[in-house]
Amino acid sequence: MSLKIEALHKHFAGVAALDNIELQVGASEFVCLLGPSGCGKTTLLRIIAGLLAADSGRIVLGEQDLATRPARERGFGIVFQSYSLFPHMTVAQNVGYGLTIRRTPAAEAQQRITQLLQTVKLAGFEQRYPAQLSGGQQQRVAIARALAVNPALLLLDEPLSALDARVRADLRLELREVQRQLGIPTLMVTHDQEEAMSMADRIVCMNQGRIEQVGSPQDLYLRPRTRFVANFMGHSNLMSREQVQAHWPQLLAHAPTGFDTASLALCVRPERLRLKADSGAAGRVGQIIFLGSIQRIAVHWMGQQLLAETSSATPFAPGDAVQVDVAPQDCAWVAA
Amino acid sequence: MNASRLPMMARDRWLLRACIGLPLAALVLFFGLPMLSIAWRSLQQDSGGIGLGNYLALLDAPGVWHAAFNSTWLGLVTTALTVLLGFVLAYGLERTQMAGKRFVAVGMALPMLAPSLVLGLGLIFLLGRNGLVGKLLGVRMDVYGFWGLLLADILYALPQAVLIIRAALRHGDVRQYDAAEVLGATPWRQFIDITLPNARYGLLSAAFVVFTITITDFGNAVVIGGNFPVLATEIYNQVSGQMRFGMGAVVGILLLAPAAVSIWIEHVATRRQARMSGESAQPPHPQHHLARDLGFAFACGAIALGIYAVVLTVVAGSFVRLWPYKFEFTLKHFNITLSDGYAPLWNSVYVSLMAALFGTLMLFMLAFAVRKFPGRLAQLASLLSALPVGVPGLVLGLAYVFTFNSASMPWGALYGTAALLALCNYYHYHTQGYVAMMTGMRNVPTNLEDATSVLGGGTARILRDVYWPAIQTTLLSVGVFLFMRSMVTLSAIIFLITPAVSLSAVSVMRLDEAGFTSQAAAFSTCIMALVGTLTLVLHVLTAGTRTARH
Repeated sequence: MSLKIEALHKHFAGVAALDNIELQVGASEFVCLLGPSGCGKTTLLRIIAGLLAADSGRIVLGEQDLATRPARERGFGIVFQSYSLFPHMTVAQNVGYGLTIRRTPAAEAQQRITQLLQTVKLAGFEQRYPAQLSGGQQQRVAIARALAVNPALLLLDEPLSALDARVRADLRLELREVQRQLGIPTLMVTHDQEEAMSMADRIVCMNQGRIEQVGSPQDLYLRPRTRFVANFMGHSNLMSREQVQAHWPQLLAHAPTGFDTASLALCVRPERLRLKADSGAAGRVGQIIFLGSIQRIAVHWMGQQLLAETSSATPFAPGDAVQVDVAPQDCAWVAA
Repeated sequence: MNASRLPMMARDRWLLRACIGLPLAALVLFFGLPMLSIAWRSLQQDSGGIGLGNYLALLDAPGVWHAAFNSTWLGLVTTALTVLLGFVLAYGLERTQMAGKRFVAVGMALPMLAPSLVLGLGLIFLLGRNGLVGKLLGVRMDVYGFWGLLLADILYALPQAVLIIRAALRHGDVRQYDAAEVLGATPWRQFIDITLPNARYGLLSAAFVVFTITITDFGNAVVIGGNFPVLATEIYNQVSGQMRFGMGAVVGILLLAPAAVSIWIEHVATRRQARMSGESAQPPHPQHHLARDLGFAFACGAIALGIYAVVLTVVAGSFVRLWPYKFEFTLKHFNITLSDGYAPLWNSVYVSLMAALFGTLMLFMLAFAVRKFPGRLAQLASLLSALPVGVPGLVLGLAYVFTFNSASMPWGALYGTAALLALCNYYHYHTQGYVAMMTGMRNVPTNLEDATSVLGGGTARILRDVYWPAIQTTLLSVGVFLFMRSMVTLSAIIFLITPAVSLSAVSVMRLDEAGFTSQAAAFSTCIMALVGTLTLVLHVLTAGTRTARH
């Protein structure tokens, strides 16, 4: 079943928390709501779950309007950042909680619990209590609990943010794998663009209650449409149209038309800038940050500060003169 | 948030409406209405008509002025000494590694187990005309009056002052001390520059609380006040003795002033405190320091010993034939000669159980509803709930008389019933219960509640699986708090008891007034045994649930 959101609005004390949200989640799609804290992504998730009322707008699941359906009757699954397990129940009781509510026969529930714990790699942990598990294990239990009821939609609210970097990376892959196997439409809220890019089929980038851009991870990274998306999805070099005209006039041929040209800017990702050592060139290498496999280089060029990334095998030193270049297919034009 | 728009099952919605509606209605009826009544009564002139006549009459009431002056003077001295001693005790408990912390802590709990007048009774047994000390030294002592009342009030107020100052001292941040240490500050400088400024709101708040309870305490003033008239006894005489209700109402209204100031300071203090100590503040862990620890152990031990001595003297006095002359063991004082015997004790238990059960239920419903749907009604409920702590028991009792001693209003039917006593005792301590309940609510995991909803759980399931495990200890301790306070409080219900339904603290007072001091001691011993046993049981019970969960 697919989820469709139309013209959703929400105000808190006169401030727009969500402004005309339009969104679709396909039948087995993994969609990430990405944005800085306070952008409204969690509010949107809570409204979809039925835990918060919207001011106006429609939420449709399959053919059904969810407006009058209480959270407890929507049949969704939800996982929070804080593991939110019942501390006084065993792992098996936690996973089977939704099944108990639905009065699933014991044998069937038992089978489902065993199967799910296998899926989240916690077979044999049935009789443990949450306090006896690590953070990563607790979050697996929470995921299994959400999946147990065959949810029509899986909602994940920063599910990995409380975990250690290593555990987080592992669980990202596993979560995505489980979601793919079961084919459950999933909506995940995160503020971590790397997490969103590595997991999502589609990313919904939000800012100040509005959707800035929706697209595949590649779309958002390589073809950002707004300054906000360009800056939020990793580092970027932004140049005004005048500067481009002055230094790289050949790129102007690719500039989109129909936009207010004053607000148009060129966006080049650091790793797409090409640096070439050239004693007569106008660029000067500034600070170099060594990051292992790559190095991040500040370049002073034509009165502005650029950021470039190269393989750390390329020898550069502060003060080197470099030529700076970019290919038309390696840059994008952003508006506003 | 507009709660009414949230899709919800009709059953859940009605349950929530009941949760906010019932407690709020009860709060308005049994707290708001009495307070309005007393304000209104203070404007009804004895000569008829509405006006400031009662207030003007006060100008011409030298007795009241004299009592007010005495009360203020007594309050100031008590406050100064209590805050000083309280700080020593709190500092010893929180910031040193002194020996005997348990001994001191239990000592601080003792006065809570008994009606306030037990302290006055104990002082009379020790320092009175027929006191132990006078007999041993061979002098005739006189403890009645200012000095006796001062001592009794200090002992009575000390535990509450210690509670507040301890809380303030607990808020420190060890890193401030580390920084000062590294910068070369001596321990004394650190105390002056860090400890005192951080505790100043606690001290201020403690000072006002002590002042308020001193000038409104009734029990000690009756037992040990002698010929030193104070406001609490004066107001009782005006109302109960001379039937001058207007004057009583006026003094009651005036007594709200110091309490209001103390609440306001407390309010400012908690806001500042919250701003000063961030989430990550690490409370200081005192190191061993022989000279300091010994000094505090000695000082705190001595103060605590004083409290033990006074309270235990009452217990001892109830078991000997003729204190302090014939120390033969006897149970004859437990044969209470008042006409209703031990009936008031059982009344007290009955009333206290009612207050505890009804109060806990109301408080839980209210806190649940306020948490679930923070809206206009919830704000109103929070605001109203903060007020009862500012109303001295004496004033609340008077207000109840003005409201419920009425044949014309439907609620007049409650007058003279145990239920009304229970309600009065509950609303007297409503604020403390509400604060404890809201604090307990913070332990209820919000996300788990949401997850349960999404999984299909209704309100009943959420209450059972999310709330109950997280809040059962809070419920129990709120219930026991209401029960204990209700068992020992005197100042509010002194106006409400009738010959048919009397309470235990009143019996102690009557026995003492009638000259049966040993019987008063025996009755007090019974109350303390009952309340003390319950406290112990609760302690064991909650300790059990706390360990069972880990």
